[in-house]
Amino acid sequence: MNGTRAADTRIPVTVLTGFLGSGKTTLLNRILSEQHGKRIAVIENEFGEVAVDHELVIGAQEEIFETANGCICCTVRGDLIRVLNQLRKRRDRFDYILIETTGLADPGPVAQTFFVDEELREDFQLDGVVALVDAVHVLEQIRSVAAAAEQIGFADVILLNKTDLVDEARLAVVERSVRAINATAPIVRTERAVLPLDQVLELRAFDLERVLAHDRDFLQPQRPFEWAADYQLPAGNHTVLTGHAAREASAAEHEHEHDHDHDHAAGLSAVGVVVLPVAAAQAGAAGEAEALAQAASALFAEQAAELSSGAAILPGRHLRLKLGNGARFELRLPLAGLWRIHLEHAPAEFGWRVAGAAPLQEREYGSHHHDSEIGSIGVSDERALDPAKVNDWLSYLLQSRGQDILRMKGVLSLRGEPRRYVFHGVHMIFDGRLERPWGAAPRVNRLVFIGRGLDRQELEAGFESCIA
Amino acid sequence: MNRLQRTARVQLDDYPADAAWSADARVLVVAGGQGRLLWLETHAAQPQVEVLGTHAGGVLAVAWQSAGRLLASSGHDGQVRLWDARSRSATLIHSEVEWSERVAFVGHGRLLAVATGRALRVFGSDGALRAVLPEQRGVITALAWRPKSSELATVGNGGAWVHRLEPQLQTREYPWAGAALSASWSPDGRVLASGMQDGAVHFWNVAAGTHSQMHGYGTKVALTTWSANSRLLATAADQQIVVWDFAGSGPEGTEPRQLTTHSARLTQLAFQPRGTLLASGARDRRLLLWRPAQSSDAQDADLLGDEITLLRWSNDGTQLAVGDRAGNLSLYTLKASS
Repeated sequence: MNGTRAADTRIPVTVLTGFLGSGKTTLLNRILSEQHGKRIAVIENEFGEVAVDHELVIGAQEEIFETANGCICCTVRGDLIRVLNQLRKRRDRFDYILIETTGLADPGPVAQTFFVDEELREDFQLDGVVALVDAVHVLEQIRSVAAAAEQIGFADVILLNKTDLVDEARLAVVERSVRAINATAPIVRTERAVLPLDQVLELRAFDLERVLAHDRDFLQPQRPFEWAADYQLPAGNHTVLTGHAAREASAAEHEHEHDHDHDHAAGLSAVGVVVLPVAAAQAGAAGEAEALAQAASALFAEQAAELSSGAAILPGRHLRLKLGNGARFELRLPLAGLWRIHLEHAPAEFGWRVAGAAPLQEREYGSHHHDSEIGSIGVSDERALDPAKVNDWLSYLLQSRGQDILRMKGVLSLRGEPRRYVFHGVHMIFDGRLERPWGAAPRVNRLVFIGRGLDRQELEAGFESCIA
Repeated sequence: MNRLQRTARVQLDDYPADAAWSADARVLVVAGGQGRLLWLETHAAQPQVEVLGTHAGGVLAVAWQSAGRLLASSGHDGQVRLWDARSRSATLIHSEVEWSERVAFVGHGRLLAVATGRALRVFGSDGALRAVLPEQRGVITALAWRPKSSELATVGNGGAWVHRLEPQLQTREYPWAGAALSASWSPDGRVLASGMQDGAVHFWNVAAGTHSQMHGYGTKVALTTWSANSRLLATAADQQIVVWDFAGSGPEGTEPRQLTTHSARLTQLAFQPRGTLLASGARDRRLLLWRPAQSSDAQDADLLGDEITLLRWSNDGTQLAVGDRAGNLSLYTLKASS
């Protein structure tokens, strides 16, 4: 909390989205019955089974207010304005508001209501948007219903619920699909919506100061590999298992029950790999991950040599491993030490294991999405920006792409400005200001956009145009 | 020149959410946002606050039959009650989970209209349900009796509806792609004005069959009120009062008068019945009195204890009740001064 700014006494509001059956009602009932010392009012659009004696539950039919200009960015939720304006008259009796939306609700107007309606804004502050996702059905929902991807794209935290009903490999695939839509929101695995409440309440996700606090929210630049991990390995040959063999080895080692029903390698015939040494002196140093990622990217850009089962994986080369029928390979290392293995696809998609070794640190990199889908795009760049050009670009972007941009946020390094410029946006609604000085921290621009059909080249070109 | 003279100030221990004066202006009933329906004898030197009843969770609305002894109240408990002001006893006339946010007497008090979500119900003064109108497209955000008639306007998302309640039910639709937040009939019953969520004011000249819209407000327009002579419409958005003149062919193309003294969002705005004064209240805690036909300067002012949440003229326009968020209720009379 910044001591120089008056404490915000507005009542925080958490919006809970998720399809029917994702566990919203279970989560609500859990929140309401837990001893958290908060007096919570719940606004429900789906007349479910929330019923807790000492808390207030208000039913209100979802109503999106029309606008004469027809702009979706101006739409607000009339039901929320009405109900919350009544609740403010008894505000001493509540310190938190939860809004449970219908399964198919578009979170856009819900969030916009808290920025557009100045009367509500005086007493209420949107704290965060939580998306509940049913691990069993979400992949199907993303494919068949536009609202599913929108809810995920909009979320500040994603609860992957019913994780007890699917196996680990399937979970990994689900997480990757969710991650491909929303690269910044933490994904929390839950069973029967059991989780610490501080992971969903009081997130302060729309607080500009908070944007700074979460460096991890920003994407690394897009890479030709989706996953990298460090292994501490002796010199010599190491067996690499893929497909089913890898999974069974993992399962055996972790004393898990075997699960023979899925093979998610289906469809993936080959995977690119680059193995690089991590210099002992640099391990963990600032910029080390970035430097190595750049080196790996350069290698990935080179023509790959194809390897069939049984062939040797050598460090410092772009190799393409042919998968299928439990293909296995020999990882041949000249030296003992820390090695980083970069994989084109996440191991969960095809099965990957270095026999007798566990990865020390895993890193995930954004996966690639198709133009018409909802996805995340990140920009990271150290060059200082021209404030006037930034203003032009962001204004243009909001005007032209506001409908497609669900969420965006960024920290910018402006030329001649000792402070960080921080912003976030919801569709066409934009909030930004100068925040803490950079001080000794490296001045790096970081931006992330989550939206529908976003064009990376267009965004990068726009960013380029802002360089001072 | 008129000045406000404060005659009393009482602490309600509740949030003044709505209020209604008796026809003789001797009693004010206040809807408490925390749940109590309060009764004040305003002519007493130090008015006592009596509890008429409670609606658990909060009172939403209260209305007084224009020339009679009936009162209607609704609350968070989903109930609508009809009170006899003489016996101070109530009859429960409607109850459901959904809130009935608006109540209004129609046709000089013969009928009571109750808006519950998208539904409109009409009760007789005996409390009996007379009619349930077909659900309108949007939730009813405001109700207004068309003066000197048996008609009622309802507004909401998607426009306005004018319902003739007697002798037969008949509804005319006035569709518009926007969400109407307020409903104010000109006292001559010709024009229905609504403030809109998207920063405009919409006029339906029901008598002439025309409608138009004034744009350019920076925020939603939640407050609209007509002068007693049906000539001026005062509207408020954010900190600004905008007054349109309906003389001649109407306000289109004319420059409105702007009253700009408030320094925070307006919460209340009401023309004096049978007079020319306009009273405004805001989050800046100020009560201001205007005479917009003549001047853009405030005629008088008072500073209250907190954000103003309530402002109601007595029917004869001689008294003013003003409530603030801290639960204070102030009563004023108008004094002529030179």
